[in-house]
Formats: sequence, C-alpha cells, structure tokens
Amino acid sequence: MKTTGAFRERLRSAWTEIRENLGRSVLQALGVMLGVASVLGGFSISDSQRRHSDDAWMKRGGFDKLNVQPAGAIRDGTTPTALQNANLGLRRTDARDGERVDEKAVQAFSVEKFARARVRSPFADRDRDIRGIAADYLAMNGYEIEEGRAFSTEDLEKASPVALLGAEAVSVFFPNGDAVGQVIRVGDIPVTVVGILREKVFRWRESEQNVFAWRNRIIALPATLVAQRMQGDVHQRVDRVVFKIPNLGLMDVFSTGLRSVLKANHRQQEDFRLDDIAARVKKRRSQGQVYNMIFMLSGILSLVGGGMVNVNIQLASLKERVREVGVKMAIGASGREVFKEFMTEALLLTSLGGLVGFVLGVLFSKVITKVLEVPLWMNPASFVWAFALALVFGFVFAIYPAWKASRLSPMEALRYE
Amino acid sequence: MPNIIETSGLTKVFGSNGMSVHALRGIDLAVSRGEFVALVGPSGSGKSTLMAILGCLDSPTEGRYRLDGEPVEGLTGPALARIRNEKVGFVFQSYNLLPKENVLRNVELPLLYAGLPRKERRARAFEMLEKVGIPEKATVLPAQLSGGQRQRVAIARALANHPALLLADEPTGALDSKTGAEVLELFCELNRQGNTVVLVTHDPKIAALASRRVELQDGLVVREEERAA
Repeated sequence: MKTTGAFRERLRSAWTEIRENLGRSVLQALGVMLGVASVLGGFSISDSQRRHSDDAWMKRGGFDKLNVQPAGAIRDGTTPTALQNANLGLRRTDARDGERVDEKAVQAFSVEKFARARVRSPFADRDRDIRGIAADYLAMNGYEIEEGRAFSTEDLEKASPVALLGAEAVSVFFPNGDAVGQVIRVGDIPVTVVGILREKVFRWRESEQNVFAWRNRIIALPATLVAQRMQGDVHQRVDRVVFKIPNLGLMDVFSTGLRSVLKANHRQQEDFRLDDIAARVKKRRSQGQVYNMIFMLSGILSLVGGGMVNVNIQLASLKERVREVGVKMAIGASGREVFKEFMTEALLLTSLGGLVGFVLGVLFSKVITKVLEVPLWMNPASFVWAFALALVFGFVFAIYPAWKASRLSPMEALRYE
Repeated sequence: MPNIIETSGLTKVFGSNGMSVHALRGIDLAVSRGEFVALVGPSGSGKSTLMAILGCLDSPTEGRYRLDGEPVEGLTGPALARIRNEKVGFVFQSYNLLPKENVLRNVELPLLYAGLPRKERRARAFEMLEKVGIPEKATVLPAQLSGGQRQRVAIARALANHPALLLADEPTGALDSKTGAEVLELFCELNRQGNTVVLVTHDPKIAALASRRVELQDGLVVREEERAA
C-alpha cells in the first residue's frame, strides 16, 4: 500500500475541478442521476408491490401449501365403470396417509368439509355456507382467536356441537357482539359458539375494499360434526386437504409421493387434483420479474444516454484542458497518471450523481407508492444495484476521454492555444 | 566531471516525405555540470525544438542524447515522464501554473508524481518557496500574484525535485524589464549555487549573463562563445 496520498490528491483535485465547473459537472452527472433514480425507483416500486402481495399471502397463512381436492375421474359422455362408481373420493384417511409420505416435509395439514345450511340465532335467520374443519385449519389459514377458544382435539374427535364465528358472522347473528357461549342452530343442530375469530383485513389499495371480507363470513364446525350430524357420511369424505410444506424444495418429491399414495388409496383412479400453490405464486412472480427487467433496462438506457452526453462534454472540455495536461506531463506526469486523474474525476462525478440519484429515486418511489396506495418498501440491494450499474457505465464511458487525454504529446499539448 | 548534456548528431524532422521540415540538422552539444548556457538564435532556428528534446518532451529523429549520463534518445512514454520528473526542471515564458491550485500545491506537483509522502512534499515545497523568496504566498492562487511572483513559483516548482538540469524558455519574455532583471538575477544565483541552467532567449543582453552562449541557425550550431570569467 502506497502512503504517498496520491489517490487522495487526485480525489481532491478532481473535486476542485468539479466544483470549479459546477454547471458542466451537473450536466455531466444528469444521466447518472436519472439512471440511478429510475433503477432505484423501479425496483422499489415492484419490491413494494411484491412485499404487499407477500403480506396478503402471510395473512392467509402462507403460500407454501399443496392443495388436494376431489376431481371427476369420469370423462364426459362415457359411462362410469363399476370401479369408478365404487370409488369413495377424498377421505380423512387420505390426509393421514399423506402426512406419512414425508413427515419431515409436512409441517401441518388441514381438512375441510363444505356444507350449506340454515343458520339461526335470536337475531337472524340466514342460509349460509358452513365449513367443517379439522387439524390445523385455523393456523394454516391465518385465523386467530379474538375471544373464547379454538376447537379442542376432543371437539374434533367426538364431533362436539361447537362453532367458531368470523367477524362478519358475529355482526350478523349477534349484532350486540356478545356471541361466545350463545347457542345457534345450524340446520337442526344446536351448537354453542365457543370462539370468535379476529377480523381479517387486506386491501390492495388503502381506498379499496377488503379482499378478505368473505373470510370473515366463516361459520366453522368440527368436520366430524358436519359429516355425522349434517351429512350422515360414514366414510368420512372430505372436500379439501391442504398440506403445509415450509421447505419448498421438498414440494416436488412430496407431491409425487402423495400422488402415488392417493392413487393406491383410490383403486388407481385419479379422482383428485393436486394444486401446488407455491408454484402458482412463483409463476405469477416471474411475470413481476418482467417489470423489474423493464425498469432496469430504462435505467440502463438513461445511463447509456447520459454516458454518451458525458463523453461529448468531456471531450469538449478536454480541449480547454490540453495545456494543463501538457504542463502536468512536462513536470513528470506519465500518460498513466493523466489517465488516472481523468478517471478519478469521472468516477467521483458518477458517485456524486449516484447519491443525488438515490435522493431522486427515493422521492420518486414515495410519490408512486403514495399514488398506488401501497406501503413503500425499499430493498437495500436495489441501492447497491443502482449504484453499481452507474459506476460500471460511468467507468466505461470515462475511458475514452481519459485515454485520449493520456495520449496527448506533451510537446503539442504545451504549445496548444 | 561528467557532462549533464551530451548530444551528438541530433536531428529532428517534422512531417513526412514531401512535406518534411528539418528543424534540427545535427546538433553536437555538451553542457557540463554547473554551467549557465544561453541558447540564442532567430525564430525558426530550431532552439525551441532543441529545448523540447533536451527537456525530454520530444524525441529526436536521429542522433544520440545523454542526460546526466543516461541515454534517453530511445526512451518512450513512461520512461521519459520519469526523466522529466527527476532530472529536468522547466520554466516557461507563460509560467504555466495550474490556475485552480494554490501556490504550494503547484510546487508540490512534481513531488507528488515522484511519489514522495505528503509531509515531505509539504516541507520540500516550502523550502523551495523560501529559496525563490515568496514563502508567504504559499496558500494564494496564482491569479492573485504578479507576473514576477508567478515566475518565481514556476522556478520553485522546477527546482522541487532537485533536477540535474534547469531549462528555461524565454523566462522573462512576459515580464517588464525590472522584474525580468530580478528573475534573471535569481537564475544567476541558482547557477552560483551549482544548478546547471540552459536558457533559451533571443535577447542578447540576457544571453550576455550566461557563462556560454550557443547560437543556432537553421537547425545547426553556428557559434559558441565562452564568456571570459
């Protein structure tokens, strides 16, 4: 490491040069400022949008899920075979067997059974969707208990006549809010409300409607209760099984294993459908990547445009500085030293322009996210990206004028008027 | 004692083929250590070209040139830059100071290129400013100085690296006669201290101060005169 402070001196005189020619310097740095602002702003806006949609997924219990639903194995217009007719569809045992496919991969699973029934309370009488639930349904769907308790294992096993109400259901059936401990009738079964679920809210924009409104309409009973008392189903058929696979890397292996287990359970009939939520989300994300590319490209274009302006200005200003270069060479500056001086100046200018670009980019993202009514989230990596791009282009476009300066003949440079 | 400058058959041709101009046609010149040589001649006689070659700003087309014992005629780019930095101190007619840097930094510049550490640069630059008699102007910008003072700064800068050779190209050309005389006195003083000085001028009065007068015409040395001591 040299300790002559030569770099410091170069930096200092570069700063002097920039300060003494402020107007020209600002003009030169304009491309960098806009480029950095556009890369940073673009990234931040798409990051903010993604963050926001991640937030939506987190609120409904994450997207690391594999859904299993019954599906028709019978093609239209054909007569079902005896085997197909004898099939029982998706059952509780499928969920249990599924978990055993890879107990390490499966963090939790839930079971759902749908029904529709007349629901009556002292305040209301409505025809509503009923959801029979089991296992980890609440946690996997991001529901939290606001008041009272969740279903116990015993409730689920013994088909206890208990119910959980969503916030909207509470407001309909118990407008006074006092629901826990009250009895409602679901069909002809009296069930006790043991808990109230916290209201779920998510808006894509501040002013828009709550997209989770329907989730607050939930009336949940133990799946066993729905099966035994409402549907009289001895086979414990279910309408949906969902597995939570936190390690997405295991998803493919698990879903292949699950498929073969289910086929074995279903007499080799493929009367079910697997839906990899994570893959679906990922696919949608990859479309979001396109926007990132576009933003990056527009940033790069502005850096290239700015870079070319920069080369022009630098070459023009070199004309004024030929003599200065000549003097420096006469007192012993090598071409290499002159090159370094010009490069230092260009990179300092790029860095300063980049910093201004950061400020512009942050303002830009703030305005846009404000208009979109999405919370702003800026990834530190975007700053690094934007700055690195600016430096790369600043460097590339500085080379030619600097090289030109370094190649001046000291003799001709000194005589230049 | 080895000669500081020793040239034999230096030629310089500008342009090529049909359009070529022979600026120097074979210069044999020897300057020993501690001499004060005046190069005189009418304009177009080749004295500026010779000066550029002696100062390693330009290479000769043909011929040999040893500067302080080192052959330099074949050197290029970085090597020449090093020689200019270490062995030659230039003083120009138009001072050629960097207008945006203060006096001290102007004087420091050759030391910076030589790779001296900061503290040493500072100290040496101050020392040089004292030598030329304007240490109090260290932090001033060149534009705030008079012509004579600027030329003193330029001389301090030329001396900073203790060069073997001090080259001056019409150093008093832009000064009035009184300050010009003072600057010339400074050169004489530096020469008495042991510096080898080569001065280009067309003024016979200035040339008369030198210990030797070398007259050029059409790219050749036409006369050399020792001054009687």
